[in-house]
Amino acid sequence: MKLKILPTHLRDKKRYLAFQAFSEIPLERDDIITMVTESSGNLYGACGTSHMGMWVVKVWDYPVPEKNMIRGIIRCNRDEVDRARAVIPNITNFRGKRVVFHTLGISGTIKAAITNFIKLKAADE
Amino acid sequence: MFFDFHIHGDLEVALNAGKLGYHGVVLTLCSRDCINHPETLKTLRKNVKKIKSNNGKNPPSIQIGVEIESQNPEDLKKKVSKFRKKTDVILVHGGDLKLNRAATEDPRVDILSHPYRTRFDSGINHVLAVKASENSVAIELNLKYYLLTRPSHRYRVLTQFRQIMKLHRKYKFPVIITSDAGTSYDLRDPFDVMALAACFGMTKEEAFEALSKTPQEIIRRNEIRDKIIIPGARFVR
Repeated sequence: MKLKILPTHLRDKKRYLAFQAFSEIPLERDDIITMVTESSGNLYGACGTSHMGMWVVKVWDYPVPEKNMIRGIIRCNRDEVDRARAVIPNITNFRGKRVVFHTLGISGTIKAAITNFIKLKAADE
Repeated sequence: MFFDFHIHGDLEVALNAGKLGYHGVVLTLCSRDCINHPETLKTLRKNVKKIKSNNGKNPPSIQIGVEIESQNPEDLKKKVSKFRKKTDVILVHGGDLKLNRAATEDPRVDILSHPYRTRFDSGINHVLAVKASENSVAIELNLKYYLLTRPSHRYRVLTQFRQIMKLHRKYKFPVIITSDAGTSYDLRDPFDVMALAACFGMTKEEAFEALSKTPQEIIRRNEIRDKIIIPGARFVR
């Protein structure tokens, strides 16, 4: 049997962090998940990480000359936005290659994050 | 307004920092690279001027600094007096206790860079803290030093940063956060750095002060440095 969905007032309040990453090797969503969980584990440990409820929602590939660029959205708890944001600059390398993450902005919905920070259309043009 | 006062490497990195939202950067050279080659500084200045005239998309204001490496305090004094007029900002490569002390006692020095380097403590005690606040020498929290430490040893760096902040609250010496970037992979978004600074035991105001107010103070002080006759008296035209 499937669990009934929680009523809205009991659900965790969320925020979405839009980020972009530059790397020496091409990255996929699974790699981003590994990096984020590893770095938050290193910074706050298992207990601190569990408070933040971080999750990589979606990533988009952006072709940029001479660099691998990726943009994406990370979900976290509303009360822990600042602590979640501190995880992002801690990522320095992946499989021996340099990686850097920059936060583009914080928003309340995925839609707003895409239109304001990811800017899919601009990339298409 | 955010500033990054310690960028090694080329102009490309400085321009990338501008894109990330830094208003001003200081390109630092190693003293051993330019002590016998004065033309290095001149060519760098020329290149900076070229970039300013070429780029219309508001590039960051770029200043030139020197990171002074020396073996002993006497050597340090010599090098400081040599470079003070030639460059805008003077950083001292800290880590050794004697050099830390000599740097904090010299009002011509702007920034004492990583006094905790290769040490277990922060390299600053109450004596140095008093001297640093008297001579307004800023103590640097170096992000590269933190990020390139192995994750299992990062706790040590955090302790050192926290110790500096504890002394900063009591003795009020300036603290500055810099990236020490050699490539654009070392640069971090200023707001991310502010969030990360909470891990160093800084409040938001303190982090903003370290990224924005202290650098502005250094710039302001260096503008009037030539006009100062003796400490406290300035030549006004």
